[in-house]
Amino acid sequence: MIFRIPACRASLGIRLSPAARLHARCYSTPASLNHLNAKVQSYTSTSSDPYLNLSIEHHLLQTSPPDSAVLFLYTNRPSIIIGRNQNPWLEVNLALLNATSNQTAHHVLPSTGLSSPVDLVRRRSGGGTVFHDSGNVNWTVISPSAAFTRDKHAEMVVRALRSHGISRARVNERHDVVLDQGQKSASSATNLSPEDTHATPYQDPALRPLKVSGSAYKLTRARALHHGTCLLNSPNLNVIPHYLHSPAKPFITARGVESVSSPVGNILLENEKFEDGVREHFAGMYGEPEGGVIEVGEDWLEVEGVRKGVDELKSLEWTYLQTPQFTFSSRGTADAPVDRLPGDHDAPLVEFTARYGVVTQCNVQLTPDSPSIGDGLIGKRLHEIADWTEVLAQPESGSHHGSRWAQVTEYLQRALPRV
Amino acid sequence: MASAAVAGRAFARSLTSQSFARCARPQVLRLRAPASRTFAASARAFEKKYTEDHEWIELSSDKKTGTIGVSAYAAKALGDVVYVELPSVDLEVSAGESIGAVESVKSASDIMTPVSGKIVEANAVLEDKPGTINQSPEDEGWLAKIEVADAAEIEGLMDAEAYSAFTEQADS
Repeated sequence: MIFRIPACRASLGIRLSPAARLHARCYSTPASLNHLNAKVQSYTSTSSDPYLNLSIEHHLLQTSPPDSAVLFLYTNRPSIIIGRNQNPWLEVNLALLNATSNQTAHHVLPSTGLSSPVDLVRRRSGGGTVFHDSGNVNWTVISPSAAFTRDKHAEMVVRALRSHGISRARVNERHDVVLDQGQKSASSATNLSPEDTHATPYQDPALRPLKVSGSAYKLTRARALHHGTCLLNSPNLNVIPHYLHSPAKPFITARGVESVSSPVGNILLENEKFEDGVREHFAGMYGEPEGGVIEVGEDWLEVEGVRKGVDELKSLEWTYLQTPQFTFSSRGTADAPVDRLPGDHDAPLVEFTARYGVVTQCNVQLTPDSPSIGDGLIGKRLHEIADWTEVLAQPESGSHHGSRWAQVTEYLQRALPRV
Repeated sequence: MASAAVAGRAFARSLTSQSFARCARPQVLRLRAPASRTFAASARAFEKKYTEDHEWIELSSDKKTGTIGVSAYAAKALGDVVYVELPSVDLEVSAGESIGAVESVKSASDIMTPVSGKIVEANAVLEDKPGTINQSPEDEGWLAKIEVADAAEIEGLMDAEAYSAFTEQADS
């Protein structure tokens, strides 16, 4: 007990004000850990750090008893969260991540509306890319896998939303929550059971529903983790598409999981009301949590498993080197060929393969007859390339290929910017 | 069932030690009777075994290498597999450690090795055709081959009949 207090100071002192540090010291063995063995547990995070919240969530998955049910609610600062098996170069406009300090980003998008950098995080669950901010509440339910279905907690969220008057909410065939956009149909209203979480009287085949909550899962032998977003009142809906539109997408053919983009909308419900509704319906399914609703946050960095999880999620190796194999070609993909580099039949060509984020094969030709200038690229980690003029061999001065070299390096700098 | 498993473990141990003295139970000695020895050994070695994690393992005829995959039951529960992360060759693992992962219907699931050893091959077919796990989970959809450190670890696993009972219990 005694030697835990200095450890707490050392790890938390730099971030917290003196008053907050005092508070944290009181929890140097976080009291919020006391209920980890309970049959029903409910946590809410006081932190907006996506790395910490995802690591607390993973710790709950790994340590809660096999027959327990755990609810965890958290809200992150602006961040892009990609799925376990996704490709950041394909899913994200990487140049915008540091938009406030990055000149390229200013050039591409004069104002993103976001005053601070946006974090890019690879999570441990499957599924596609989502944008988090203060108007989006993330909900997680960890439960025994034996009784698990992919819909059961999305249905719980729909019941919570409907209890607050959001009667357009339903679960769709992708296990997401959507809001139907049609006029209320009198006939279907009488035929539909209010308990049916998969249908509403507002369904209209001509009007695409707006997605408000996306699902993803992490399954272990005994446990199923289901987490989802819930878009309540994001101030960033107009800029999110810019962040999720990659300039390299037309040129990448990737293994792994590509996001399915959907039109999204805000539910326009206060975060606290949504959280209360989810807690109530979670308790309805699993019983009242022991110890009530437990607040967790930075004090959980004292837990070794959480701290290691944060370090791993923050590492560039995890974010970039876990990328499934992909090929990049200036000629586009087999499904959608393009001629990105002009010059008709003698256009320059850029082709490479990256396996787990490292270039394994490469062919960069300034003309169809010239040898590849891309040998220096082989073995390089793609995310460590800051300047493409440094990895592609420059033609000798006076060579008539000089302008083509400049064209190729500029193209690569735009498509695959420094991260 | 219990006595068969015990006999199996003792038998496997005696294969490496080549000593009858270690076999405590009389039925093990019967298995080792010269007339039935070859037949009994190969029949046991080729039997596919299953874990509670829903992986299967099958030993090669020389009993040095095991082929690992996910069971048909697990493949059905996972749904359409869209990506498989394979282990790298030469990876040394202990029983129960992760040797790969699959993604299906927005779900990431780890695959655990049933036994300790060294990975000697991964099924490259799954890189381009991850759906092979759904089409042929217990044959063409194998995940990896492992140089088995201790064949006795395999004998403690469930046979097809026991695994079937295990999954029925899980579903009830």
